[in-house]
Amino acid sequence: MNSYLTLLPVIFPFLSCFFILAKPFENRTKMRYFTITIVVINTILSIFSIMNYQHTYVNIIQFSDHIKIAFKIDGLSKVFGTMVALLWPATTLYAFEYMSHERDEQRFFTFFVMSFGVTMGVAFSANMFTMYLFYELLTFATLPLVIHEMDAEAFHAGKMYIIFMMSGAALAFIGLVIIICYSQSTDFYMGGTLNYMAVKGNENILRFVYVLTFLGFGVKAAVFPLFMWLPTASVAPTPVTALLHAVAVVKSGAFAIIRLTYFSYGTYLLKDTWAQYIVMAMPLITILIGSTMALKTSHIKRRLAYSTISNLSYILFSVSLMTQEGLASGLLHMVYHAVIKITLFFCTGAILVQTGRQYVKEIEGIGMKMPVIFGCFTVCGFGLVGVPPFAGFHSKWNIAVSAVRAHNPLAYAGIYVLIISALLTALYIFTILIAAYFPKPEAISGRDDSNVKDPGPLMTVTIIALTITSVIIGFFPTPLLYVFNSIASKL
Amino acid sequence: MIENDVLLAFIVFFPIASAFIGYAIGKKNKNARNIFACVVTAAEFLAVFSAAFNPMELGIKGLFAMGINFQSGGLRSVLMVLAAFVWLMSTLFSNEYFAHYRSRNRYYFFMLATLGATMGVFLSADFYTTLIFFEIMSFTSWVLVMHDETENALRAGMTYLTVAVIGGLVTLVGMFFLYHASGTMRFDELSVFMSGIENKKPYYIYGLMVLTGFAAKAGAFPLHIWLPEAHPVAPAPASALLSCVLTKTGIFGVLVLSTQIFMYDAQWGLFILITGTITMFLGAFLAVFSINLKRTLACSSLSQIGFILVGIGMQGLLGEHNAIAAGGTILHIVNHSVIKMTLFLCAGTVYMNIHELDLNKIRGWGRNKPLLKIVFLQGLLGIGGIPLWGGYISKTLLHESIVEYITHLTEVGHSAYLFNIIEWIFLISGGLTLAYMTKLFVAVFIEKAPDKLNENNKSDNKYLTKTSAFVLICCGVLISVFGLMPNAVMGRIADVSRSFMNSHYMEHEVHYFAWVNLKGAVISIAIGAAVYFGFIRTLLMTKDQSGQKVYTDVWPKWLSIEKNIYRPVILTLLPSAGGAVVGVMNSSFDLICSVTVPAAGIVCEKIINPSFEYTCSKVYYAAEYLCGNVLNPSFENIYKVLYFVMSKSVEFINSLIENIFLWLLIIGVIVIRFFKGIYDYMIQVVLYLFFNYDEISYEGKRNFRKDAYFSRFSVDKYGEERGMRENLSVSLILFGLGVVIALIYLII
Repeated sequence: MNSYLTLLPVIFPFLSCFFILAKPFENRTKMRYFTITIVVINTILSIFSIMNYQHTYVNIIQFSDHIKIAFKIDGLSKVFGTMVALLWPATTLYAFEYMSHERDEQRFFTFFVMSFGVTMGVAFSANMFTMYLFYELLTFATLPLVIHEMDAEAFHAGKMYIIFMMSGAALAFIGLVIIICYSQSTDFYMGGTLNYMAVKGNENILRFVYVLTFLGFGVKAAVFPLFMWLPTASVAPTPVTALLHAVAVVKSGAFAIIRLTYFSYGTYLLKDTWAQYIVMAMPLITILIGSTMALKTSHIKRRLAYSTISNLSYILFSVSLMTQEGLASGLLHMVYHAVIKITLFFCTGAILVQTGRQYVKEIEGIGMKMPVIFGCFTVCGFGLVGVPPFAGFHSKWNIAVSAVRAHNPLAYAGIYVLIISALLTALYIFTILIAAYFPKPEAISGRDDSNVKDPGPLMTVTIIALTITSVIIGFFPTPLLYVFNSIASKL
Repeated sequence: MIENDVLLAFIVFFPIASAFIGYAIGKKNKNARNIFACVVTAAEFLAVFSAAFNPMELGIKGLFAMGINFQSGGLRSVLMVLAAFVWLMSTLFSNEYFAHYRSRNRYYFFMLATLGATMGVFLSADFYTTLIFFEIMSFTSWVLVMHDETENALRAGMTYLTVAVIGGLVTLVGMFFLYHASGTMRFDELSVFMSGIENKKPYYIYGLMVLTGFAAKAGAFPLHIWLPEAHPVAPAPASALLSCVLTKTGIFGVLVLSTQIFMYDAQWGLFILITGTITMFLGAFLAVFSINLKRTLACSSLSQIGFILVGIGMQGLLGEHNAIAAGGTILHIVNHSVIKMTLFLCAGTVYMNIHELDLNKIRGWGRNKPLLKIVFLQGLLGIGGIPLWGGYISKTLLHESIVEYITHLTEVGHSAYLFNIIEWIFLISGGLTLAYMTKLFVAVFIEKAPDKLNENNKSDNKYLTKTSAFVLICCGVLISVFGLMPNAVMGRIADVSRSFMNSHYMEHEVHYFAWVNLKGAVISIAIGAAVYFGFIRTLLMTKDQSGQKVYTDVWPKWLSIEKNIYRPVILTLLPSAGGAVVGVMNSSFDLICSVTVPAAGIVCEKIINPSFEYTCSKVYYAAEYLCGNVLNPSFENIYKVLYFVMSKSVEFINSLIENIFLWLLIIGVIVIRFFKGIYDYMIQVVLYLFFNYDEISYEGKRNFRKDAYFSRFSVDKYGEERGMRENLSVSLILFGLGVVIALIYLII
């Protein structure tokens, strides 16, 4: 009975979030205390479950042998769950200050807290059916956050968001049906659960369905050709762009693909077949398109969104190598990118609320006016480019090492794609930094920058804490790598 | 020796940590910060000095994932003492130089950080450590280059950064492959690994990749473009650091490659030699034409790096008998650093007093300043390779090594014409060095000044503080010490470094002042004199309106590799190629959509429908035939009923099959409508329930694109709108595909 506690981090936000909406708060401070209490409690619950209930199978509802709602925390859930659970309170703190410049805070925090539960549901689900369920719920829970501004642009983005997600879901559903038909159970089990007696003779159909499902889950992970929703959705408030569209939603797409590839299908059926080549080629194309478009875009938030697209595909590329090392380095990049990109988005949001500036040309010369924000932006920007010894370098290096060891011609091509992308990343990050620190004299003349200053303590403290985290995990990645390798070694 | 090992970590991380402390102090008190910086560099110098004499090793496991390894002793000690010395001198000099500068805090911060990173490069015992500190150094020194924030400085900084980033990336790839092939990054293990390799061809490629970043930092042709731009625009103390030490980090990388990985490798040596020869001549040639004091010195650095590379190349070619070449290389590194620091600090003295570097404007400024004059003359004589001064020793050794190889080739019976040419280029470059240095010296210290400058000059005679004067004197004396006691001082430095270069001790002491060795110097001096009087004073000087002779810049502006090749390729060719690829991808999706949709229609209409019809009609006729002719008429009644039912059902099936595609289409539309409905409904519900919005208008959904910024960045808009359309169409097709497959699956 105790093990039902595993459910708490999933259900608790669901139950409590409506209080935020319904309760008539006297003032903003009380609402903030209420919200942060819920989030922190849920983080503690999540960490508690992760520490205590590993490998405990909790069956909630059983419809049939294959179709049941069940939860289990394994190594992969641990990584994803911990990452999400730790970043959520940080983003909430940041959002308090950020959202005081926007309207309808109560609604915002309602759905924000609800998404927490749904994401934990994705992390903790024990089989394909449960994951699919929460995966779909995540779309609907985050939709109100995307259209939060309630203006034409936001509705347009929301419409696009839901069309893309629904088409992805349709494709993923095919995969779900096939897995129900062809495997011993839908539970996740490292190495796959396919029933090879049934599979015999139908290998190519299964591989085809795998590619379709990859595409379906790939919609959330913004893989080519279904990535356009992500830059459009950057109209949402910055905490949403930062946490959901750089970490929770998009990484749950990558998470689902890892589950599909390593835990449901297993790499045996797919490795060195045309299916692997296709799913390996798609991220590579995405990496190139994402970094090129990022360089071309002058709107900083959208530029970072494109950068997210290309970085997510680093993870997918690494995962699609279908080796133990590939999975481990993909997970490493997942964690590194989460911390780095969330900080970069926070900095951009801070610039936006403090100055209302959104384009690279507009931020010329404000680097020294906002020392904390731009200092953190610089450190994390270096991490994103992959300047040794900052965080991004090790993950990219490990991805390259695993690509070489995979002995796959496309993987070799992948190394060159990584290098080209690193160069493009350097260009699109450094142009921002150079504009901020070394302005062209004509760009700043006749502009009044005297009001530009760092934001309040809630924002700066969050950003500094995250930056320090990124530096620490960048300097000492060995324990992280050890954990990821031990997860992946159960192949 | 545990304390001593920690010393290595101290040497690297102490300056980096004190950079932050210095920054904090500088916020409060500027003077205290300056003194702090001097104390830090002095402490660093002492630490380095005490670490230099006993070789030690330090490995920090787990830091930066793969762990970092430091090692001291031998060549590393020489380089690190040199770096610490240059840093100390330059920092002492900075106090005065930066007295009236703004954002000095930034300068001191990045200067100290660069010191730590440079030490990290020199102490590194594996490529990974080298790379980490090399990259840190690139970025911190970039800020030093840009410090003045003038247009030229920004431009030079961008060039520097671009070369550093691209070079660093290529090096990274090279190291990556080397690591993949050998499984180790440590120099000693790589050296052992490489000695067991028969076919070195792929390793040459990896080696070249690794070389790129280091050669770019050293300023070797054709990656030298940033050097003549960046060194002159940086503040003089920073120029001294860039020129004397940072280029040597590149040289350190080249040395590692040439002496550890391609040990005694003649082919590799030849490649380095040719690169070095071109750099050596090109630098000297550019310097002759330059009329800017610091630019001349920068070009001169280029040329001296060429000399060093020649030495590295020769020690590869000479194989195990490389004692002379190895000694020459090391000594030239040391000499160049000390001499070039002297010269740059002299140039800095000129600049901080009159804020000009153009030879025509600073002409004659140094006439009545004996101290500056003598120190600059020391530098001139040192770098010009005049006997009794430092540069002579190393240049003689380098020259000897070329002669030795020529002798060796003729003994074996091979033709040595290539090396004869290289020997002559070497001597000519030496001559050019003398010529351009004389040009500077005559211009600044001998020629008469324009009247205006003279007046300024008299009124303010105090042009140096005591500290700065002390620094200059130190440097000047050192050059003479090197030159006057070649075997005692320079010989020892060379011997210390031999183990790194895998060279044996010299069989006999070199008699530097014997005629055989003096001959080269005499030829060079003759060439230098001829160039100076025959070329510089006649062709590069013209009379202006007042009848005075002035220096003219005759170097054509358009003639530059950077302008003609690199910038067009990087700024035009690569982006347009990338854009073309992305464009092709986008339009291929357009194409796929426009082909598949009609094709599917045609296939349905022309092939599937008729074939179904045909099949159905055959079945129908067969059934009719069966009923009418074959079955026994005695069952006529049953037959009639059967006939009726069968014909009806066949008709029904027929129509069903005919319409199945229509049905599919309708279902698809319904599903899409359904989702749209859900979406609309959700929004309505959400709005009504919680937010009291009465209605939503979709009319204005495109208006935001009329935002001023969108119209200005039209590329952006175009790209995004197109992409959106394509992606939507593709996703809808895939959605349809998904529905069809699911239905077919369920039917079957």
